[in-house]
Amino acid sequence: MIDIDREVGGIRCFEVLDLLPDFVDDALDSTRLEQVRLHLEGCDTCEKFGGEYGALVRVLRAHVAARSDSGVRARLGRTLASVQDEEVREP
Amino acid sequence: MDRYAASVHGMLEGMGASPDDAEDALQECFVAAWRRAEAFDGGPSARAWLFTIARNALRRQHRRRVGEPASFESLESLGAAAGWGAASDFSHRLDVHDELSWALDHLPDDERQAVVLRDLEGLSGAEAAQVLSISLPAVKSRLHRGRLRLMAVVRGGEG
Repeated sequence: MIDIDREVGGIRCFEVLDLLPDFVDDALDSTRLEQVRLHLEGCDTCEKFGGEYGALVRVLRAHVAARSDSGVRARLGRTLASVQDEEVREP
Repeated sequence: MDRYAASVHGMLEGMGASPDDAEDALQECFVAAWRRAEAFDGGPSARAWLFTIARNALRRQHRRRVGEPASFESLESLGAAAGWGAASDFSHRLDVHDELSWALDHLPDDERQAVVLRDLEGLSGAEAAQVLSISLPAVKSRLHRGRLRLMAVVRGGEG
C-alpha cells in the first residue's frame, strides 16, 4: 500500500482517486468539483495520476473498435433471409 | 441490419468473444431481434436493446463462466498498481493500439464489459446498466476498476 493519502483542498488523495471517473465525465457537483480542482493544484501525485487517467479515457473513447467485415455482414444477411423465408412458409 | 451489425459485432469481440463466438452470437442476436421486433418499445435506444440481446446470446455460450466471482482488490491497491504515486509516466504507451487491445483482453469479464460499453461503444451509464442488468453504481465501479487495471497492465504491473 502506498502512503500518499494527504489532505489538500479539503479532500484526501484516496477520495480523489475514487472521484476520478465523475471528474473526467464532468459529473461532479460544484462543491466536489472545486475540492478536486484545489486538490489537484496542490498535490503533484494526484495531478500526475489524474492526467494519466484522463489520457487513458480519451484514448479509449477515440479508439475505433474492431468492426465486423463484410463477410460477417453477408453471412448475417443470409441467415436472416433464411429465417424470414422459413417463417413466411409456416402456416 | 447494416446500421447496427458492425457495432454489435465489435461489442461482442470487445467483450472477449472469439471471432467464431462473436459471429454466432451476432447471428442469434439478429434472429431474436427480428422475431421480437414488436416487443421493442422504443426504450433508451435500439442499439442498447440489441446489445442486451447480443450479450445474453454470448452469455448462453459461456454458461460455465456465469457466477464467476468478481475480483475484490481494493481501489487503493488497484490504484497503486496503475501507477498512483509512481514516478514514471506511461501516457506515451497509450498510443500503441495493439498494446491497449492486448491489455483489454487481460481484464476480468465484468470490468472489460463495462469499459467496452461505456468507453469504446459510447453507451451512457444508464444504457450500460440496462445491457448488463446491473445498477448504475455497479457500472461506475466496474468501469473505474477496469480502467485502473488497464493502466496497470499497460504499465506492466499486475493485471
